[in-house]
Amino acid sequence: MPDRTVLVIDDEPQIRRVVRNALSDDSTQVLEASAAAEGIDLVASRRPDLVVLDLGLPDVPGIDACRDIRRFSAVPIIVLSARHSDSDKVALLDAGADDYMTKPFSTRELQARVRAHLRRVAEVGASGTTTVEKDGITIDLLKPSLTRDGVPVHLTRTEWDLVRVLAKHAGRTLTHQQIFKAVWGNSYRDAQQNLRVHIRSLRRKIEPDPVRPTLIVTEPGVGYRLEYP
Amino acid sequence: MIRLENGTRTESMDRRYMPWILWLLVLTAVTAGMVALRSTLIEAHVALAYLLVVLGGSSRHGGKIGIALAALAFLCFDWFFLPPFNTLTVAKPVDWIVLVAFLLTSVVAAQVFEKARSEASTARERVRELDHLASLGAETLNAGRAEDALVAISMVIRSALSLDGCAIYSAENEAVDVMCDVSETPSSDSPDSDQWHAHIETAAHSNAAVALGINGAVERFTIPAPASDAPWPAASDFVRLAIPLAIRERTVGVLTIERRAGIRLSPDQWRFLAALSYYAALGVERVRLVATAQSADALREASRLKDAVIASVSHDLRTPLTTIKALAAEIVADGDDRALTIEEETDRLNSMVADMLDIGRINSGTVSVNPEPNEAEDLVGAALQRIQGRSKGRAIRVSLESGEPLLIGRFDYTHTLRALVNLLENALKYSPDSEPVDLCVRREDAWLVFSVLDRGDGIAPADRARIFEPFYRGRGPSPDAGGSGLGLSIAHALAKAQGCSLVYEPRDRGGSVFSLRVPAVDLEELSRS
Repeated sequence: MPDRTVLVIDDEPQIRRVVRNALSDDSTQVLEASAAAEGIDLVASRRPDLVVLDLGLPDVPGIDACRDIRRFSAVPIIVLSARHSDSDKVALLDAGADDYMTKPFSTRELQARVRAHLRRVAEVGASGTTTVEKDGITIDLLKPSLTRDGVPVHLTRTEWDLVRVLAKHAGRTLTHQQIFKAVWGNSYRDAQQNLRVHIRSLRRKIEPDPVRPTLIVTEPGVGYRLEYP
Repeated sequence: MIRLENGTRTESMDRRYMPWILWLLVLTAVTAGMVALRSTLIEAHVALAYLLVVLGGSSRHGGKIGIALAALAFLCFDWFFLPPFNTLTVAKPVDWIVLVAFLLTSVVAAQVFEKARSEASTARERVRELDHLASLGAETLNAGRAEDALVAISMVIRSALSLDGCAIYSAENEAVDVMCDVSETPSSDSPDSDQWHAHIETAAHSNAAVALGINGAVERFTIPAPASDAPWPAASDFVRLAIPLAIRERTVGVLTIERRAGIRLSPDQWRFLAALSYYAALGVERVRLVATAQSADALREASRLKDAVIASVSHDLRTPLTTIKALAAEIVADGDDRALTIEEETDRLNSMVADMLDIGRINSGTVSVNPEPNEAEDLVGAALQRIQGRSKGRAIRVSLESGEPLLIGRFDYTHTLRALVNLLENALKYSPDSEPVDLCVRREDAWLVFSVLDRGDGIAPADRARIFEPFYRGRGPSPDAGGSGLGLSIAHALAKAQGCSLVYEPRDRGGSVFSLRVPAVDLEELSRS
């Protein structure tokens, strides 16, 4: 009996095969669906631990499939896309996808992402992360505190709000829109510009080399992600 | 209908003399009435009554009747009402003054009426003309197809001016083409059509009318302003005229008219021709605009198709690439390192596909640009992150003018990132492995400058002008034949698309410097906005 199931929804048999070969092992069962409708049914009936969804499905646009799944399930969704327009990616993440990969992706990368999402869900459940530890940085959202090699780092109020929203969804890319909605609310207009300035000052405080960030990563044209350890 | 023929009015004799008889009767009746009351009337009464008759007559039927009535009334006044009665002699000298004053007043009043009447009638005529032209214009311009309007206009010109032929040509750039020809014998069929066409071109390019005489003489002239009353030209030996059609001083076409008996037009007809020429000009312009709109539609459709092709090519190529890459990875996992090469080559193929698709998109102008304030360090970080896998451990030294003020520029993040990554890749590719690549960011007045410096061979002066052209490779040794040859041109095009610049300079002590300049933004400006 496998520990977990992964569902791949893709109309291309070759891609389903690639995903199956990459992910299936003794502890993981891979389910396959060749259309969105079938896939959404399987999400409901088999309750997979993770969904790999192709954006270019023949029956329903991938983004609608993503929204449909989010209506009843919090299962992590990784989207595969051949297109790489930023607005597509943003729309996907806003529609509830957790991650996306552009074809041709590397098998190792897919395995790593799937592992990370599964572990994240297993560790933190649906409520979100409360502590993150990476590269000597410890973030504790409950206390709340942020320490670098055990030494507390002073953050401004806004920087804390940023850390909180990024850490709560560690491992997920948050769109600019999602971040400034969470930090400033809707009313604050130049948040988008200020967001970049605050990210920079935050990086200077917590990244070992702010020009080569390893903790708060930029997804160009999309948003930011706090790397899940 | 406008009265273009110079014919006279054909009114019956009765109608012509009726007003004279009527007003003579009125004058007689008034005189008779006043004679009956002569003992009770003073001269002023008589003068006023006659004046009324004169004014009445001239207001209804013009100055001639008015003046005739004035003369008759003058005589009657003297004969019947100035003592001694029934003679033309006047007893009191002061009565002469009354008489002369009466005569002058009557004549002046009659003339004033005449003038006003003729002005009113001219005005009425003009209104009718205008009305006619307006409805003709509306009709012709509303014709279903733009070309039909031109045919309608030339038909109207031909019949209204009793011509043998009328044609409209379009003139765009250097080309002059016939758009419609309603001549008895179309000019293209006439033996001298080539010569005549050359004259039409002259008219189009010189913006002056060209006339062709019976004997073949050619004359350039400007169309006379309809000031004089005489028909023009006075003695006509012009058989063909080519008149440039202009809209706001821009020549859009040429109108030609032909009359074998010689062209001679009255001022009215010239005016009519001028008005219709303008309609013809609008018609020609309309044809041109319709054609432009159609080609714009076609372009849009082509661009939409291109996007569809790009999307499907991108999908169709990437799916097999994904499969190949994944299978190679499986083989590597099974312990055969040769498959690593397959993986690498797949990546290279993929980046070439991406480059081709991108340059296609950029060239077709379908790339959308979204410049907004972005932070330099963030861009540099993302570029380094992206190039990590491809730099094979090569050192990239970053120098950022750090500290306050922040380095913020207004640019499209994704496009600029792609440009910067291409510059870094280019620098890594064309410089020896032992030499680090430098990336400097600094503020220069109103600009934020990202410079990528390498210690490669640099670019020969002869090649510098062309390095940003697609597929251009310098004459020097190409260390890596695998690239698409598009990296620099994509970077250059993406910089240009957002109004930024990318320039090459040779580096001191060897190598290249590529500098990407984007508009800088001040933090204060940012918080104000």
